[in-house]
Amino acid sequence: MIEVRELTKRYGSTIAVDRLSFTVGPGAVTGFLGPNGSGKSTTMRVILGLDAPSRGDALVGGRRYRDLPCPLREVGAVLEARAFHPGRTARAHLSALAAGNALPPSRVDDVLDQVGLTDAAGRRVGGFSLGMAQRLGIAAALLGDPGVLILDEPLNGLDPEGIRWLRELLRELARQGRVVLVSSHLINEMSVTADRLIVIGQGRLLAETTVADLSRRSATLEDAFLELTAAATDFRGSR
Amino acid sequence: MTYDFRSVARMEWIKLRSLRSAWWLLVASMLSMVAMGIGIGLGYRGHTPVATADQIVNNSLGGAILAQLFVGALGILVVTGEYSSGTIRATVAAVPRRSLLLAAKACVYGGLAIGTGLAASLAGYLAGQLAIAGSPVPHASLGDTANLVPLLLTGVYLGVIGLIGVGLGALIRHSGGAIGALFAGLFVPMIVAGLFGEAGIPVGRFLPVLMLLNSISVTAPVPGMIPAWAATAVMVGYAAVALAIGGVTLSRRDV
Repeated sequence: MIEVRELTKRYGSTIAVDRLSFTVGPGAVTGFLGPNGSGKSTTMRVILGLDAPSRGDALVGGRRYRDLPCPLREVGAVLEARAFHPGRTARAHLSALAAGNALPPSRVDDVLDQVGLTDAAGRRVGGFSLGMAQRLGIAAALLGDPGVLILDEPLNGLDPEGIRWLRELLRELARQGRVVLVSSHLINEMSVTADRLIVIGQGRLLAETTVADLSRRSATLEDAFLELTAAATDFRGSR
Repeated sequence: MTYDFRSVARMEWIKLRSLRSAWWLLVASMLSMVAMGIGIGLGYRGHTPVATADQIVNNSLGGAILAQLFVGALGILVVTGEYSSGTIRATVAAVPRRSLLLAAKACVYGGLAIGTGLAASLAGYLAGQLAIAGSPVPHASLGDTANLVPLLLTGVYLGVIGLIGVGLGALIRHSGGAIGALFAGLFVPMIVAGLFGEAGIPVGRFLPVLMLLNSISVTAPVPGMIPAWAATAVMVGYAAVALAIGGVTLSRRDV
């Protein structure tokens, strides 16, 4: 379970996240939606202990991330598609992370196989396509077989086959009883991938709901989302 | 199961050894010392009056002045390379205890850098001795502690510069900025102290490159300089300060 409680994060005078509270439970894919700059990535970074909250806190399984004894066994995360040293092979990247948390080295082959990168394991990551980089990021997230998965825009750069593969993977992970939090700005994709939704705008919670409930508010989920976030969108073109 | 120093050190070792650029920089530091050793030896072959054994040893370790830049730059890149590639977030997510992370990085890279430094010093010495073979210049034996100690301490000096690099990398986070800061820190105070001539010695005796050239890498310290062991201790102190500041900033800042 992920609990975000009265979370505020400021960068200088900018408030990225503003007294945000929500919980994400197991057994469902939870979509994390919001316009650009609404604070999704910041919230995820605070949950992962990368950024320190200005106020409030974020807990994973009742503990702050920093206090987890073996983080990769509890939380797997994908934050950005290309967070790898280009000169390192996919296998070396995963082996290093596995060693860091004393995970069995066999997990590296397991996750490479699971994301379909076995044949590319010995190649340097610098030559990977965006889709392959996303798959490597997902492989890293799965290394410790964690009960909580946090993915920031994991669909970026995936081709249609990759999108379907990831959608089915996320739904399977949720079916196994894991906590799955996925941020995206692709509303239509979320309507088929997610069960629950957390919608934020300008760092504040706009809705904590289900795909079914939000869809019922308007003709389509997209319309409902745009109505919900209309007041909280910083950048908008004219019609 | 939990992560500890051992597991984090293993992670850092896998990361370090899996980058080709790391090995190139270490090879470059070895080659700098070999080149200097050969150059000095050949230069002194036909020299009159005939060079002393001390002169050859003192000068053939001088390649450390270049080697330190490679070893120091790699120490920086071990940290800043994680920021430029974005790997730092995966690393810190796996190891949220950041002081432990930096300690493991420093131990793993520091060990490799000292090992490389010792090998490079030995290579510089051997190159110098080889280049004077068959000339009237006397051979300097490593059985003589006066020759062995500068060789060992020059190796340690190089490793310590690598550790200063790790600390600077954690503090500055950008490769270019940190490398610039290291090079400026090594050479600018030395040049400024040099402007004061004799009057610059009270400060100059604590500057890394001056300690290297006039105390650490030579058989007897130049008058006015502190002994080689003391100079090495000062260098270790600089590295401890750099790592402590780097560790505190790494722990406090968002990544």
